[in-house]
Amino acid sequence: MALLEIRDLTVEIATPEGPVAILESLDLTLESGRSLGLVGESGCGKSMTALAVMGLLPKAARAHGTIRLGGQDLLALPEEALCRLRGRRMAMIFQEPMTALNPVKPIGQQVAESLRQHLGLARADAEARAAKLLDRVGLPQARFPLGLFPHQLSGGQRQRVLIAAAMACGPDLLIADEPTTALDVTIQAQVLDLIAELVESEGLALLLITHDLGVVAEMADDVAVMYSGRIVEAGPATALFRQMAHPYARGLFAAMPQAPGSGEEGGTRLATIPGRVPNPAERPAGCAFAPRCPHRLPGCAFEPPIEHLADAHWVRCLAPRRGAPAP
Amino acid sequence: MSVFLAKRGLALLLTLLVASLVVFLVMEVLPGDPALIILGTGAQDDTIAALRQQMGLDRPMMERYLAWLGGLLTGEFGESYTYGKPVLTLIGERVMVSLPLAVMAIVLSTAIALPLGVAAAARHGRPADVAIMGFVQLGVAVPNFWFAMLLILFFAVNLGWVPAGGFAGWEEGALAALLSLLLPAIALALPQAAILARVTRSSVLEVMQEDYVRTARAKGLTRGQALWRHGVRNALIPVVTIMGLQFSFLLAGTIIIENVFYLPGLGRLIFQAIAQRDLVVVKDLVILLAAAVILVNFLVDLSYALLDPRLRLGGDGH
Amino acid sequence: MAIKVGLAAALAESGKSRAFVIGGAISGFFLSIALLALVWTPHSVFQMAIREKLQGPSWSHLLGTDHFGRDLLSMLMVGASNSIGVAVVAVAVGLAFGVPLGALAAAKRGWIDEVVMRFNDFAFAFPALLSAVMITAVFGPGGVNSIIAIGIFNIPVFARVTRGGALSLWQREYVLAARVAGKGTTRITIEHILPNIASLLIVQGTIQFALGILAEAGLSYLGLGTQPPLPSWGKMLAEAQTMLFLAPQLAILPGLAIVLSVLGLNLLGDGLRDLLDPRLRRAR
Repeated sequence: MALLEIRDLTVEIATPEGPVAILESLDLTLESGRSLGLVGESGCGKSMTALAVMGLLPKAARAHGTIRLGGQDLLALPEEALCRLRGRRMAMIFQEPMTALNPVKPIGQQVAESLRQHLGLARADAEARAAKLLDRVGLPQARFPLGLFPHQLSGGQRQRVLIAAAMACGPDLLIADEPTTALDVTIQAQVLDLIAELVESEGLALLLITHDLGVVAEMADDVAVMYSGRIVEAGPATALFRQMAHPYARGLFAAMPQAPGSGEEGGTRLATIPGRVPNPAERPAGCAFAPRCPHRLPGCAFEPPIEHLADAHWVRCLAPRRGAPAP
Repeated sequence: MSVFLAKRGLALLLTLLVASLVVFLVMEVLPGDPALIILGTGAQDDTIAALRQQMGLDRPMMERYLAWLGGLLTGEFGESYTYGKPVLTLIGERVMVSLPLAVMAIVLSTAIALPLGVAAAARHGRPADVAIMGFVQLGVAVPNFWFAMLLILFFAVNLGWVPAGGFAGWEEGALAALLSLLLPAIALALPQAAILARVTRSSVLEVMQEDYVRTARAKGLTRGQALWRHGVRNALIPVVTIMGLQFSFLLAGTIIIENVFYLPGLGRLIFQAIAQRDLVVVKDLVILLAAAVILVNFLVDLSYALLDPRLRLGGDGH
Repeated sequence: MAIKVGLAAALAESGKSRAFVIGGAISGFFLSIALLALVWTPHSVFQMAIREKLQGPSWSHLLGTDHFGRDLLSMLMVGASNSIGVAVVAVAVGLAFGVPLGALAAAKRGWIDEVVMRFNDFAFAFPALLSAVMITAVFGPGGVNSIIAIGIFNIPVFARVTRGGALSLWQREYVLAARVAGKGTTRITIEHILPNIASLLIVQGTIQFALGILAEAGLSYLGLGTQPPLPSWGKMLAEAQTMLFLAPQLAILPGLAIVLSVLGLNLLGDGLRDLLDPRLRRAR
């Protein structure tokens, strides 16, 4: 049984003009010990998916469907039960490390917090464990004592603290929502390496949310591409990168600055996808990508079918592309 | 930290000095000859001159200023013309009324405002929040002396639970004394509570949006726990600022409220002294009250350092 | 210009803010009464008719009479022009001195800024009412002196708001562009800074207006404000206090007038803030 199973997840937000679907019938599976990269542009709903799993959706949002973590349907649980799971079985780190730590509390306390909350450890024990955790994420006690305050650390260091706090109780699932987007490029690599290492040594399941295909290519075992509230293509990373079937995925790939096969020396123009992501309230019927798709067909005005390509690789498209992604 | 303290301490001394100068100069402009006022218009010129010399009114301004300042620092406050008592004694008597009054008002206002503000923030947008904000709007619009009159009308006249005015005196026992301060304290506390509740609410609301509260929830804390353990200290910072500012409004309020309730306190003393041109009392009292306000603001500044480690330790990431 | 677009758009959408509508209605009501009282009141407020004292509401005296037989409605009306008049001029004083101070501090920085900040800190440290009491006591009670006293305490408020708003604007690109183009600080201040902080000043102005009414009432209550025989809400309350048992309505009516006018202004200020701020942010 997969660790995380999302079936038919729909998330609606109440607006003055009526409910708007941010996520539509999402299906997602994540096995224990594997990493899934959830890719898409801003506004496609990837963060919403993460928040839905954690049960931290904004008040105006309603979730329907099922989200199973180790067999339990999270959407059916009351808030107290969710509180017991958060930080204990499932943990999340966010995009902005600069503001994600409480400025008036020392980092030791913030790392130890879930230990005391879930495992009932006494202060001294929790702090000892916190010291070990900080050590594990590359912040040794000698230079980074427990009494340090967040403002005394850089962005990358703060993200490490947050990772340590998230890992404290040994969760089965780690959700990382764009963990390196706000960091410098060199630090990005370090933090991603740290996450990859932890995933491997602790046997975690990782749901990595990002807009950067490059990151996904490096870190993820499986990939899911999202567009406007739906997953449009998913499969094992190797299969997907070998043959991207959905025009949007291909467009994303081509838009990468270091996309291979650009041909001429001395810089080509970056490929772009014309148009922009539709407002969830104005989503077109049928395939949401159709208006921007270079291979659009009249049949795309209807709900696109799901086509299964090789091993566990599927795509939601009327006319999926063949062959390696071209520039 | 010590740099912070030193800078603030210097600013404090400077402000106190300038305050004393301003008070002295304003009093200098006061028309009318104090000696003449004391002796009356029928007095003879040389008697007036003698009294002036005795009161030191014929010495140059700078000398009088420094003498006054020196006296303040050594506790030699001078003697009041109208009451014939040393000003220090007068202040001592009156403070026994004003201080308990101020303390009661602060306690009441904080005890009402903080829970209300937090409750309103927690139930943001819902009926309870709207009701509390309605109370706040009314509270800031009501003049405290009118509210005082309404309180007297209702509780003292109609119900007879508390006296309508005057101070029972500490000799009558603590309960009677405090009871006669109850209505005045409520009247003082209400507008302050309204402002404080509003600030508390907006501060808590802002803190609730902060990323670190979301982090806390992601770790498994309930909404309440996240708010309490992470939000409160951060939310307190603006609240403490306003409480410090309110101290000066409180002092101003006592002037009016003590008049409404005929309480023999410092506020009433100032008012009467001004009316009677009792220069000595006025000068000493005004600078005393101003110094109290300046001191309180200084303490508020210091408390930031306690609450916010960023001020204490400074420095950025490596 | 951004501010004109902002104001026009704001007025067009003013219906959206309940606070603005209600506050505007109440404030408008009091303003009209105050203006009307300048030329006409049902009865003369100087005419005492002891035989008609302490009457209840009637056709000739819509709100009754006070202990001297004066028509309460007329007294309240004149009190309105008094309170509003004092508060308006006090706000004008605050603006006239405070805005240039704050703009100067923000534009020049350096020691000028330090001096203005110290002055502000110092002014805020003095209990406002206490100093107003001192000023009116020293220079004599009366409407003009209470205007000065209240106005003096509006100065640091407007200076602080102006300085704060201006400081952030000096960092904006279009201001930097103007400086690069060689425009002097005075021209930049007048052309760019002031129009864009106008909304801040308008909102703060309504708040200080409301506070001015409260302050004037307090001063008049203590006998330091507008002097008799000119009626003022505060003085009416002071006189009413002596007859609290006999005629409570004498205390209730002026108090209600104060509460309602201040409430109306506060709501108006809140409504203006809702309308002007987001609009101006978009217009930039």
